[in-house]
Amino acid sequence: MYKAVIIGGSAGSFQVITRILHSLPPTFPLPVLLSLHRLKHIRSGFVEALSIKAGIPIVEPFDKDQIKPGRAYLAPANYHMYIELGNKIALSTEESVNHSRPSIDLSFTTAAQVYREKLIGIILSGANRDGAYGLKKIKDLGGLTIVQDPIECQVKTMTEASLKLTKVDYVLSTQEIIKFLQNIKTTTP
Amino acid sequence: MIRYEIGIVETRNVIKTILDTYGYDFRDYALTSFKRRLEQIIMNNGFKDADGLASRLASSKEYFEQFLHEITPETTEMFRDPSLWRNIRDEIIPDIMKGSPKPKLWVAAFDSGEELFSLAIMLKEAGVLTEVQLYASAMSEKAIDKIKNGKIDAKEIEVNEANYVRYSGKRKFSDYYVIDNGQIVLDSNLIRDVNFIKLNTVYDSIPGGIKLILFRNQMIYYNQLLMDKVLLQLSNSVVPGGYLIIGVKETLENTNSINKFTVHNDSEKIYKKKTT
Repeated sequence: MYKAVIIGGSAGSFQVITRILHSLPPTFPLPVLLSLHRLKHIRSGFVEALSIKAGIPIVEPFDKDQIKPGRAYLAPANYHMYIELGNKIALSTEESVNHSRPSIDLSFTTAAQVYREKLIGIILSGANRDGAYGLKKIKDLGGLTIVQDPIECQVKTMTEASLKLTKVDYVLSTQEIIKFLQNIKTTTP
Repeated sequence: MIRYEIGIVETRNVIKTILDTYGYDFRDYALTSFKRRLEQIIMNNGFKDADGLASRLASSKEYFEQFLHEITPETTEMFRDPSLWRNIRDEIIPDIMKGSPKPKLWVAAFDSGEELFSLAIMLKEAGVLTEVQLYASAMSEKAIDKIKNGKIDAKEIEVNEANYVRYSGKRKFSDYYVIDNGQIVLDSNLIRDVNFIKLNTVYDSIPGGIKLILFRNQMIYYNQLLMDKVLLQLSNSVVPGGYLIIGVKETLENTNSINKFTVHNDSEKIYKKKTT
């Protein structure tokens, strides 16, 4: 039923993302889109660090790459990552949003417009409000919204901003997010 | 972030108005980023909606000039990807300077000045700024004026400084600008001899015999069709053995120009035109 998972995170999310990616089976039936705040000028190292323990391949996509299931797509440094009609990645060097490029709001908003009710959006630990609007957009267009439980977030600003703006479907611990994602395979034909 | 949003139909309507009135063809621009830019323009100018923008475009040539400037994303920073600029300085420029005198270098992407000034500073420090012919393209007179005045976004000055340090330039970045009324003004002597070319969206009249084309982060705003079309123009413009540089997250793979080039440096996305 779902077509994609999109995850946004900033300060304090690296460990969480690593655990989530580690837990995904190679047969994970959906693409995983990762819009994470990162140092603008460091192009290499991040995808490698995330890949070490990941259960599925992670790529930093090129512009216009086709999005495929069972892969994770990490927004490249210093680019916004949009989801384009036709299930493709579109990159942009437009101005920063919420002081961020990549901006989680922009990735989430564009993904919501393409996948609508077939999208799962997840907001993790982070130190600014980027992502809150994007998550609302996913909810408004019928998608499923999850926020990491602020109690276990290293930095709560991002999750709390999201919870304030949107009546989300679930507030989950990392372990529960993992369980949720692992169960997706059983509900997908 | 609360945004004004328009639909695909409204986006296409604005594109049609521009095409019918001025002959500029944005139909093959990437939809998501183009729509987003229209939304930004509608918000910034206080238009009521997409129809408000379209009717202003249809009735005012002067506003259309302004629009051409606004629709083009600003180049984000000077010396973006410092490792690329080191590579151009240390490998590409020495190779280009070995050939015939006054080689032509072209900043082909619609730049807001940062790319052109970075190139000029690099050439100046290499002592060859006056030994080359520089070209720069722009879609609007307004963009050309802005670049000629050397005005860049002051918000980005720390990023520019940091990039220049990572590039390991010979001087201090602050040697190249003055602050005038809170605005950063780059030394326009650097671009005194640049040949500005006003182009429309499909690059229909372009210079030939080019040794180096900088075309970074522009194809990301195109769809596949326009990418192929413009790349064909650029590949005709660059001489055999000359270079084409695109954005680090763009690729010539899956384009119809890939067989005209060899990959010279994959991580910096430097391509070299084949000699046969």
